[in-house]
Amino acid sequence: MADTEKIIEIEVLRYRPEQDKEPVWQSYKVPFTDDMSVLQGVQYIKDYLDETVSFRWSCRMAICGSCGMMIDDKPKLSCKTFLRDYYPGKLRVEALKHLPIERDLIVDATDFITKLESIKPYIIPKEERTLAQGEYLQTPEQRDMYEQFSSCINCMLCYAACPQYGLNPKFTGPGILALMHRYNADSRDGGQAERNELGYADEGYWGCTAVGYCSEVCPKGVDPANAINQNKMNSAINYFTRFVTPGGADK
Amino acid sequence: MEVYKADVAIVGAGGAGLRAAIAVAESDPKLKIALISKVYPMRSHTVAAEGGAAAVTRPDDSLDHHFNDTVGGGDWLCEQDVVEYFVAHAHEEMVQMEHWGCPWSRKEDGHANVRPFGGMKIERTWFAADKTGFHMLHTLFQTSIKYPSIKRFDEHFCVDLVVEDGRVQGVVAIEIATGEFRLIQAKAVIVATGGAGRVFRENTNGGIVTGDGMALAYRHGVPLRDMEFMQYHPTCMPRTGLLFTEACRGEGGFLLNKDGYRYLQDYGLGPPEDKPRNKFMELGPRDRLSQAFWHEQQKGRTIEGPFGSVVNLDLRHLGEAYLRERLPQIYELAEEFMGVDPAHTPIPVVPGVHYTMGGILADGKTASGLPGLYSVGECSSVGIHGANRLGSNSLTELIVFGKVAGDEAAKFAKATSISNPGAIEKQADAIQARALGIVNKADGTERIAVLRTEMAKSMESGCGIYRLGTTMQETCNKIDELKQRYKKLKVDDKSKVYNTDWLLAIELGYLLDVAQVIVYSAFNRKESRGSHQRLDGYEQRDDVNYLKHTLAYYNGDGAPRIEYGDVKITKSKPGTRAYGAAGVKADEERKKQGAANG
Amino acid sequence: MSNRRPYVRSMDGWWKRDAYFVSYMAREVTSVFVAAYAVVLLFGLVRLGQGEAAFNGWLQYLKTPWMLVFHVIVLAVFCYHTWSWFKIMPKTMPIMFVGGKRVQPGTITGTGLAAAVVACLALLFIVGGVS
Repeated sequence: MADTEKIIEIEVLRYRPEQDKEPVWQSYKVPFTDDMSVLQGVQYIKDYLDETVSFRWSCRMAICGSCGMMIDDKPKLSCKTFLRDYYPGKLRVEALKHLPIERDLIVDATDFITKLESIKPYIIPKEERTLAQGEYLQTPEQRDMYEQFSSCINCMLCYAACPQYGLNPKFTGPGILALMHRYNADSRDGGQAERNELGYADEGYWGCTAVGYCSEVCPKGVDPANAINQNKMNSAINYFTRFVTPGGADK
Repeated sequence: MEVYKADVAIVGAGGAGLRAAIAVAESDPKLKIALISKVYPMRSHTVAAEGGAAAVTRPDDSLDHHFNDTVGGGDWLCEQDVVEYFVAHAHEEMVQMEHWGCPWSRKEDGHANVRPFGGMKIERTWFAADKTGFHMLHTLFQTSIKYPSIKRFDEHFCVDLVVEDGRVQGVVAIEIATGEFRLIQAKAVIVATGGAGRVFRENTNGGIVTGDGMALAYRHGVPLRDMEFMQYHPTCMPRTGLLFTEACRGEGGFLLNKDGYRYLQDYGLGPPEDKPRNKFMELGPRDRLSQAFWHEQQKGRTIEGPFGSVVNLDLRHLGEAYLRERLPQIYELAEEFMGVDPAHTPIPVVPGVHYTMGGILADGKTASGLPGLYSVGECSSVGIHGANRLGSNSLTELIVFGKVAGDEAAKFAKATSISNPGAIEKQADAIQARALGIVNKADGTERIAVLRTEMAKSMESGCGIYRLGTTMQETCNKIDELKQRYKKLKVDDKSKVYNTDWLLAIELGYLLDVAQVIVYSAFNRKESRGSHQRLDGYEQRDDVNYLKHTLAYYNGDGAPRIEYGDVKITKSKPGTRAYGAAGVKADEERKKQGAANG
Repeated sequence: MSNRRPYVRSMDGWWKRDAYFVSYMAREVTSVFVAAYAVVLLFGLVRLGQGEAAFNGWLQYLKTPWMLVFHVIVLAVFCYHTWSWFKIMPKTMPIMFVGGKRVQPGTITGTGLAAAVVACLALLFIVGGVS
């Protein structure tokens, strides 16, 4: 990789609630080397050009989920998107779409967190087991049934990719529904009935119209669209069986 | 100022803080817990741990083996009674994590699988592919939601502890979203804020790993112990410092110099074999491997390229399918960040700062000398890592001692009550005024990034893999100077909503305090032990004078006051620390001696 | 009092924002054509019920130039709809293993498309055989 310094133009959608009525684009010229990520570009701006630009970041290695942004209108983790791929053109960074902007590149994550807390994202054991009894047995194949869905880093890129969430923020949304499926699909768990109440509701699985972009942008291969849509069949069966079964199916 | 009244406040919501919060909640559901974190819990740096967590599991393993590996690996600077507790409780905590849903990798029979790790005699590292920390953190975070008594303060930045009547009675935090201050009153406070790797330049740590809790406890008179011991991880990405887990080598990866030669055999770690062998070659401990890199560099046998001097981490012989299954994240990092396909090309790596072995002085039950204050995790020094931590002991530490900290803090909180709330609120007001002073200063001239960069560069030259008195002295002077210049810091951003500039300024203050402790502790230790290696006449371990813990005390504007404390030795007398064939020989001799004595 | 003032961006014209959304909308719009063609067939069924003459009239109508153009368009649209439908199909199915190996999405899409092609050919063959 060549180490000669090049200059790239980065436009940042600025929004400072204490002074801006609405977001405005601001342009910066950033020197970069080929191994620099977009995050490093934005860090350069904060360190040397404009200390007031605000954004979240931490691990730099695509696992903490902090640094999601719209980069040229695509939801991406800025730590694993590279400036070299935009040069010699410029690039635009903006806070994740469909979520309210708190400031600059920082979005309001409250809705996401509230939904995460609401779906019982923990094991509700099928059968209780004491520590002395050791671990639950789970074959690699049983683990494979949920492992992919447990890989969500909560970066919210899928929310920025989901127009249904943008149009109706009551929709539980891809990441959280995938997390719900993660627990439902775990061989140790017996809490499906409790969680299905939320999953089968209008704001649950049926809020999804299978756009599929969530899975496209997911940096961890979680495939939330799959987690959601494979549940629609069960939900439909449940819907019809409740008319014929006394007392209803799962409610 | 808004006041929240808790029984136990926990600062930091990574693995240790979350485990502690759950422990408090389970010990007594009536206790109110405030869990304060400057980021959302799942962003905490536990998330980046890759390889795994150690616990004796196989029938051919034993607690003694784990104990000996840990104490020997720590070059006998461990608190041996604490290590005994640690190894004895590791397995049940792994099982507890399993019950909470942690997706441990499994064997065909459904039991959790274990993998080999550096410096470990028998395979005992539990793992969830190469995202173990990620899975543990998310499991703990999601499980914590089950407990209504845990009240989270996400994105709240802790600016100080409130010490009144000689004990800790709360913390003051900034709500980052609004810039408003909150006093969280508490009868006991657990600090679980993680390490301080960001005092160095090339490191594996996230941007949030800035030693906050260490600095806060230190400023209140609690000593920081053994801070000179900074772990360099031998296999990091050049320049960014991102981590390639030790599991790469546990799974069979080789380290090669520019001649394609497995150079570790020249540094007492051989002989080389095709398959990974515990405590041999690439599965030696991290300090030795990083030191070997340094020697190769001196001999001109590293590979020179655009990233400086590197060696190769060769995984090619493991094949793509196996790598994708066992090391998926490593595969992705190499491909996406470096454009290297590890199934076909070796990965260029360098050592990078990874872990703070020292920390807030704590006893085996995580209590500090300041009543009501507990510490756990990387910020703490309960004494299990000594002069060099073994890979996969730190994740286990989080949960074993996280539980202890929660239980102990709960006990303490139940036996005490808040004294003098009026005085506490007054103190909180003073703390607020000080924190606002940083942003409201009119005559600042120094830039945050400039000071931070100078600090990191200086720390790297003074406290690297090998150290010299002269360069350490220069670094001492440099950090002293930076601390003075810090007083003239200029914060451009004057707003309240998500003023990250302000937080960076406060963090820089924490970093400088911790940096100063590290370099003064290093300068004063006139021997070589574990990760602290000198080249200026102190190349040997000196058990006569330095089988001691360094204790650094805050001394206002001046340099820290350095004292020394005893090391608790129960059953392992300091011996030769050897690996490879030499290690096998040393083991046999120790056994013979033991038989002769016993 | 808080200084927070979260800014909510408008969703106006959202589907034009990204090529992915455009192709999604195209998939949704093609279902209108599917419905329209169902109406045409339904109409044929009604005519069939009204006797042979009525049905032959309907067949004659189908052969008018406008209806031929309509059919060409519908065929193209149906091809796109079929492709987009099978493309999303892997998302609707549970994780499956065959011989210990995970069934890849591409395999599901490919199998679906192949089945559709075979069904069409079989139908053509049968219809051709009858007439």
